[in-house]
Amino acid sequence: MSEVIIKTENLGYTYVDSLDDDIVKVDQSPALRGVSLEIKRGEYVAVLGHNGSGKSTFAKLINMILTPTVGKIYIDGVDITGDDFTEEDVFDIRRKVGMVFQNPDNQLVATVVEEDVAFGPENLGLPREEIRQRVDSALSTVGMTEYIKHAPHKLSGGQKQRVAIAGIIAMKPEIIIFDESTAMLDPQGRAEVVEIMERLNKEEGITVLNITHYMDEAARADRVVVINDGELIIDSTAREVFKNVELLHSVGLEATQGAELIAALSGCGADISGESLTLDETVETIANYILRKK
Amino acid sequence: MISDITLGQFFPGNSVLHRLDPRTKIILTVAFIVSVFFANNPVAFAFLTLAVCFMTALSRISLKVVLKGIKPIILIILFTAIINVFMTTGEGEPLIEFWIIKIYTRGIVRAVFMAVRVILLIMGSSVLLTYTTSPIALTDGLESLLSPLKVIKLPVHTFAMMMSIALRFIPTLVEETEKIMNAQKSRGADFSNGSLVERAKALIPLLIPLFVSSFKRAEELATAMECRCYRGDKNRVKLNKLEYHGIDLAWFLIFALFVALLVCLSVLPYSFGVDNELYNILFYKI
Amino acid sequence: MSNILELKDVSFVYSEGTPFRKVALNKVNISFERGKITGLIGHTGSGKSTLVNLLNGLYKPTSGQVLLDGVDIWDEPKKIRDVRYRVGLVMQYPEYQLFDETVRADIGFALRNKGMSEGEISERVIEAARFTGIGDDLLDKSPFDLSGGQKRRVAIAGIIAMRPDVLVLDEPAAGLDPRGRREILGSLHSYAEMTGGSVILVSHSMEDMAHYCDNVVVMNKAEVYKSGTVREIFSEAEELSSVGLDIPMTSKVAKRLLDLGIKLEGDLYTVEGMRDAILRYTGEVEK
Repeated sequence: MSEVIIKTENLGYTYVDSLDDDIVKVDQSPALRGVSLEIKRGEYVAVLGHNGSGKSTFAKLINMILTPTVGKIYIDGVDITGDDFTEEDVFDIRRKVGMVFQNPDNQLVATVVEEDVAFGPENLGLPREEIRQRVDSALSTVGMTEYIKHAPHKLSGGQKQRVAIAGIIAMKPEIIIFDESTAMLDPQGRAEVVEIMERLNKEEGITVLNITHYMDEAARADRVVVINDGELIIDSTAREVFKNVELLHSVGLEATQGAELIAALSGCGADISGESLTLDETVETIANYILRKK
Repeated sequence: MISDITLGQFFPGNSVLHRLDPRTKIILTVAFIVSVFFANNPVAFAFLTLAVCFMTALSRISLKVVLKGIKPIILIILFTAIINVFMTTGEGEPLIEFWIIKIYTRGIVRAVFMAVRVILLIMGSSVLLTYTTSPIALTDGLESLLSPLKVIKLPVHTFAMMMSIALRFIPTLVEETEKIMNAQKSRGADFSNGSLVERAKALIPLLIPLFVSSFKRAEELATAMECRCYRGDKNRVKLNKLEYHGIDLAWFLIFALFVALLVCLSVLPYSFGVDNELYNILFYKI
Repeated sequence: MSNILELKDVSFVYSEGTPFRKVALNKVNISFERGKITGLIGHTGSGKSTLVNLLNGLYKPTSGQVLLDGVDIWDEPKKIRDVRYRVGLVMQYPEYQLFDETVRADIGFALRNKGMSEGEISERVIEAARFTGIGDDLLDKSPFDLSGGQKRRVAIAGIIAMRPDVLVLDEPAAGLDPRGRREILGSLHSYAEMTGGSVILVSHSMEDMAHYCDNVVVMNKAEVYKSGTVREIFSEAEELSSVGLDIPMTSKVAKRLLDLGIKLEGDLYTVEGMRDAILRYTGEVEK
């Protein structure tokens, strides 16, 4: 077992337009270029970037849905871009790297919850008793045991997404990528999904990559990676990233509300400094500032 | 609302019918459909109706729901009935006669029983199969029953998978249709007025978005399936293995009895040569 | 009259007369002012989606009246289409409604349905496209070749082209990145100002509500829980928590500061309001 579970070297990908008049057109600029990154086992990483920045492309490369145009990817020390990589190995990677997508409807295959959760393990060809045990434990992890015989289309968005997560957990992955999995959910559903995400990371030691537009989600991660126009421009702790409010604004993002408030104050000439990642920190920083001024 | 359509929809439950092996249910449904066409006199129909009601009760699905499943095909039933009324020629004097149309008692009786037959057919196969069998179980059953055909290179698994996915997405697409319809209505689209050509044209703003989004869904679903290591039936193990139990055997026996009785009721009465008014009405050959 | 759209004792019941009967709205009274942006909040299942569909006559109230300029929109059911041109509805994920060959044609769809002249249509299409920030170079492209954010704008332009007196938007920024959110939500104010019409915004984001709306209606359990100006609603932010809604982050900060004995005054529900309140408190800015 190596410490570094995902490693990319100079990773690049260019989308090629479909066959147009029998000429393969190379479509504009690369969606991703020169991304070199190392993610350690058990890390909780948020990936930020505006729409079309290339962050989803990154996820699809890690999961082997797309094959890189240039560069290397190592998953758990295995070079998945190598020539000797067989089809059998692809499945091994996909088992290790689970992915939860944005639209909960478009990733549920079966008409009964338990059969959907079983879909992955069934494909792995596990013994039947093992599948049953994994389905039950995955559903209990996401708190959906009572819905085991329900039809997915009757569940709420958040519940559907929890079933989708259970379907991934049942494959016992080492990494789970959440590709904007909370974007279509209401605040309650979003909170449920984030809670599960963090529990899987803290309790099961699963490496979590959360691709998101929500800054409050990113603020909870150990590490934040920002991709802009296909390039990795920031890679640091959440704390550091959200201090650089101006840089975030310049790439079409924003900081957490707390950091925005501190930045707005210093923008007006206030000599305020301090942490602002969480509510507690923000309150403390502002209270200290006010008490100092009074 | 369109989402009320229940034909081909599964109602989860735990009744005897829910617990039967899907293969049993498929075989029994085929047997049932064939036997429905055997029924040819009022007594046989009464027996058949009783049997269907009995099965409906066993399925623990409310009669209302089952009857609602007939709604979408009411036009077809009416159409067949009307054809029967007009096209049947009988012996003796027609009941009503004008212009080239002659209506015989036999035609009306036939029309009624034809309608009853179709309704029983739908009700019976719904409670026996579609309402009580999850689409995946249904597909598994079909796949298992058809698996001998794999020898001649028929893609049985692919076919079964396609079917189960289609079933999974019916409610989603119905919901989506309603949404897009409302969106276009909000832009002044009119789906319910105008000539036939106009109405067909009005469907374009509904159908195109529906196609586009279905393709997008298909693509996303395919990706999601691949991510979950799907590669056809290679290496695949099913969570719920199909196994015949005692109850399946019992149902095969009960059903055999039912079919035998029905055949008897439909064939035997005519070999006795009884000629009495009540008997003739009861066993009036339709 | 300053109210353009009014709901009077509106109730809506799904599947009336069946065991699945569900009251989605119960005797709701709301008025929407001209030239104002009204936010509609409430958790999933509070009845706000149903409400949206009632506003432009997609649903008919089980009882009660929807008054547009004082006239019940269901007085003449045959003219309900005219109501839909006047109360423009942008549905959730509206990009799914695009269908025509070009962006231009798609934006003009409603206008053609309305039977306007070609000249007028093309003028309005360009105006709506510019308003939503769609470049002229995109007008002759297929809507399916655009990016997600662009599609969203085209769909919104398709409604704005009708120049509705009331513009209703259901989560118009869902799934967009922060810049896309700001651009779309920011343009709503100019719409209300430019046309003198009313804008109704449905959103889950309290920050967006606080930032972009003038008035807020809070829905809970099929009823109007509370309504008023943004200041009125968010000054008692804790009340919102009691109906399962989140409150703006800055309101939470203000509340915590109050516990510490620091009493700020002003619009504490937005970043700018909070900033000004703090600076006033420390005396760095005059009152």
